[in-house]
Amino acid sequence: MAEHLHRLFYPRAVAIVGASRDPSKIGHVVLKNILSWGYPGRVYPVNPNADEILGLRAYPRVSSIPGQVDVVIVAVPAQRVLDVVEDAGSSGAEYLVVLSSGFKEVGRADLERALVERAREYGMRVLGPNIFGYVYTPARLNASFGPSNVLPGGVAFISQSGALGIALIGYSIVEGVGVSGIVSMGNKADIDDADVLEFFREDPNTKVVIAYVEGVADGRRFLETASSVSLRKPLVVIKAGRTEAGAKAAASHTGSLSSGPLLWEGVLKQAGALQARDIETAFDYVKLFSAYSVPPGPNILVITNGGGAGVQAADTLAENGVYLGEPPADYVSYLREFLPEFASTRNPVDITGGAPDEFYYLALRKALEHPEIHAVLVLYCQTMTTNPLRTAEAVVRAVEEVGSGKPVVAGFVGSEEVQRAINHLLGRGVPAYPTPERAAQALAALYRYAALRRVVERRVEYLQAARGEKARLGCAESVVRRSSRGLP
Amino acid sequence: MGCNPKALIEAARSDGRRKLLEHESLCLCEYYGIPVAKYGLAQSSAEAVEVAKKIGFPIVMKIVSPDILHKSDVGGVALGVRTFEEVQEKYTSIIRSVMLRAPGARVHGVLVQEMLPKGLEVIVGATRDPYFGPVVMLGIGGVFVEVIKDVSFRVAPLTPVDAEEMIKDLRGHRLFKGFRGEGPRDEAAVVDVILRVSELITELDEVAEVDLNPVVVFEERHGAKVADARFVLR
Repeated sequence: MAEHLHRLFYPRAVAIVGASRDPSKIGHVVLKNILSWGYPGRVYPVNPNADEILGLRAYPRVSSIPGQVDVVIVAVPAQRVLDVVEDAGSSGAEYLVVLSSGFKEVGRADLERALVERAREYGMRVLGPNIFGYVYTPARLNASFGPSNVLPGGVAFISQSGALGIALIGYSIVEGVGVSGIVSMGNKADIDDADVLEFFREDPNTKVVIAYVEGVADGRRFLETASSVSLRKPLVVIKAGRTEAGAKAAASHTGSLSSGPLLWEGVLKQAGALQARDIETAFDYVKLFSAYSVPPGPNILVITNGGGAGVQAADTLAENGVYLGEPPADYVSYLREFLPEFASTRNPVDITGGAPDEFYYLALRKALEHPEIHAVLVLYCQTMTTNPLRTAEAVVRAVEEVGSGKPVVAGFVGSEEVQRAINHLLGRGVPAYPTPERAAQALAALYRYAALRRVVERRVEYLQAARGEKARLGCAESVVRRSSRGLP
Repeated sequence: MGCNPKALIEAARSDGRRKLLEHESLCLCEYYGIPVAKYGLAQSSAEAVEVAKKIGFPIVMKIVSPDILHKSDVGGVALGVRTFEEVQEKYTSIIRSVMLRAPGARVHGVLVQEMLPKGLEVIVGATRDPYFGPVVMLGIGGVFVEVIKDVSFRVAPLTPVDAEEMIKDLRGHRLFKGFRGEGPRDEAAVVDVILRVSELITELDEVAEVDLNPVVVFEERHGAKVADARFVLR
């Protein structure tokens, strides 16, 4: 492994084979995205029928480019790809990014094999084929034919599906989620999820990884790599499709029950990955993980101006295994100083429907200062007498003034004004959601990730100890069997 | 204990069988230290009585034949046998019934087995996934298993941490905590069975599938025992 694909993400020079002057061609869109994103390295369009494309000198072949090219992006029809491999290979390129389709997905597994084999002969690795390209914002590289207005941030995104991947980039822009990298995996002829996961695991610019996975060729390597990612940063997986479980012929319970989805659920838990059932949930999670990754302690306080929202949040938390305790006594007496008598000072704290933004500020500020409160869920239901944006500003003020780093998650419910309040919160780094349930679920994911990671840590420790034990005994024989019960 | 996995598998192969017989399966379990209900294979009514003496009552008796899939359909099963007379009687009636209703079936004898007291029934299994290789399963047992599908999988080899997590994964996890006045179940014993199955499927390349169903789990510190085991070879 060439230091986890370093040159793929930090190329010094890229060539685009099939670059075109025709704006409707993929080779044109990719080149344009690379240029408009301000990629600082050298860019070479390759097209034997053009002298200049988008203001750059075009070359007839990769091998006629002066100087080293690290990444060759291929946007020519499938039947011409093998010629490009020879050309790029002889020029000493390291990576081929094959956008072209027309390989295994249409029954041409032979062509795909030939592509990888010849690339290997030249020591090149292949991303794709059948992909929309890739993006890496720290290198200001957008080598894709997806949207050009990607927001930079800490979320790395790996997608096996092309169209859905492009759509998700659009979704991330609308949702205000900033990305470090986007990689379209396509047919995974050579570079697979595990390779890319290894890069993002080591990448200091990536805070959380989200992967849309349909299937993997090497399950064990995926499990191992995903585990190693989880130990470092959250990994959110949307698992689609089903693997054909073996043992079709066998009629035993185990055989018939080992259907793909159930096995994958276990695999993802074993890897410490958070499985998201749908795209919305996955993005809700990454919004949270962009801001926080570890809960500083178990005690969550819920502040709400509506009893119903508080109950919904408490239910959602409980369903996710997170339970609310009573607020500390000194915090309760503090609240009593300014809250109306009919306010509830249990948890959720109900500061009442008419609560002005000042109540939110005071309640949140003190909670963030309190050593026994570790995370706060702020819920707001729009009422006639309160102002959503001012409430959001009060929340931000408290968060920024205290600077505790404790997770604060907001669930704001209401009209367009509330949407503006949510955007304000997101813009200031406070994960905010349009319902109490989604806010609670996201906060619960923070605790779930911590629990999953602890399991992976214990598992790794155990395996290391067992390996040491086996080596010490100097025998390959089963350690389990020799003891009558339990492991030594 | 006197069984050698390789020899056992070879014998089945040369017999043209992909499935191990009941006593072979139980023996393989024992080899891996998986606790099973006491058993013995009898090839005459006198032998059946001898086995019953060692086990104690009540016992169950089952025909052992590679050609019979549904034993009770051919009168090949007797449950709750409590006296030596009954053992002799049942042995004869099982053999007679099988000869009548499944003529030509190869019969290896009758399995005489300890009838386990009631407990929580779980399934522990293993199979080989084309992508993940050997995987281990834990599920809540009983008659509704196919419908309820309350199961959890992990990729082998497993650690005790994985096995504990599998138990927690089950929706029926609370059944382990005891209900209707019964005490909590021996979770440690289940963890132990899971780990041994993991060891087995990792070591024995020839085994395609393991299905321990049911594993009866007793109260804390009273262990768990396999009542029925099935092994399918590759």
